[in-house]
Amino acid sequence: MMGEFEYALVTVAAALGEDAYGVAIRDGIEAAVGRSCSLGALYTTIDRLEKKGLLKTWMGEATAQRGGRAKRMVRVTPEGVRAAKAFYQSVMRVSRGASWVEARTRRTS
Amino acid sequence: MNGIAWPLVGLASKLLDRDEREVVLGDLLETDESAWRGFLDVFGLYFRRQGGLWKESRPWFAAFVVALPCSYLLMYVSISVRCTFERLVHHKVYGWHWPTGHEGFGLLLCHIFLLVTWSWSTGYIAGSVSRRTLWVSGALSLFPSLLCLPMHRAASLPWFCLFLFLPPAVMGAIQGLCSARVSLRSASLLAVMTSALMILAWSNHALWNLNWILIWPSWYLVATAWRSGSGSRSGSFGIASSHA
Repeated sequence: MMGEFEYALVTVAAALGEDAYGVAIRDGIEAAVGRSCSLGALYTTIDRLEKKGLLKTWMGEATAQRGGRAKRMVRVTPEGVRAAKAFYQSVMRVSRGASWVEARTRRTS
Repeated sequence: MNGIAWPLVGLASKLLDRDEREVVLGDLLETDESAWRGFLDVFGLYFRRQGGLWKESRPWFAAFVVALPCSYLLMYVSISVRCTFERLVHHKVYGWHWPTGHEGFGLLLCHIFLLVTWSWSTGYIAGSVSRRTLWVSGALSLFPSLLCLPMHRAASLPWFCLFLFLPPAVMGAIQGLCSARVSLRSASLLAVMTSALMILAWSNHALWNLNWILIWPSWYLVATAWRSGSGSRSGSFGIASSHA
């Protein structure tokens, strides 16, 4: 099963779709989690997820905004979608009945 | 990022692989981060990459099985060779009589050859097994000599005699780093000659027993060349061709 940061990365990358690359994913994670995310953490996690077959990366186009340097584009693979869905469902299952989701559990049951 | 900080971050990014450097520098430019955060990002990524390498066994093998113990033994061989040279050429006697105190020119030449081949093969293995962590292996191979430097300075030995093993070891490491292949024939010749000279020195009571440990790098080269040869015949990679 994937970890919390891996889940956040895959989810943000999936939401960004065709525009998923290093800086955009980092901004998305920082906005969602509310913590700063280093490039080291980001790229080593992307490598790990790519090795697991959950992501695919390639070198994108160079832009003037980046000083003519290429982006590392990211796409979530079908395996990545399945793994993220499994993580989400297991978090939902394990959270059922927890005091901090009591109201939601009562409302949905 | 201001004009002074940017070249420094660019310099630090040389630690990263070429593609990764391009991506990271592009990211830093795009986000217009502070120089401090840029440095943290570059060094953070570099140290995470380095840390990741140590999850494999190769860097540990290169550093703690090859570089550190072999350099410790090679340092003593270097001192021994230097002391014998001083005794035979300059008639200076240092407090180093065993096991090479009785050596003549023939055994001195034998020891010089052994020092070169032991050091070269050790360096070659350290360089070829794990090239990305070679700086750690290199630092560890200097450690015994640097530790013993004050002690030998007190014994009035020239400082460089502790480092005589370094030039051939560095040459071996560079060749290992450049993936220079050692053919099975050359590796076998080197191993057989090394073994024969070790037996010669040992039979003349001029070999420290622990120095037998230094025979394995040359035979490891033979095994590597053999596996690499049979690997390329069957389409797989040999030990020397894969790097951590």
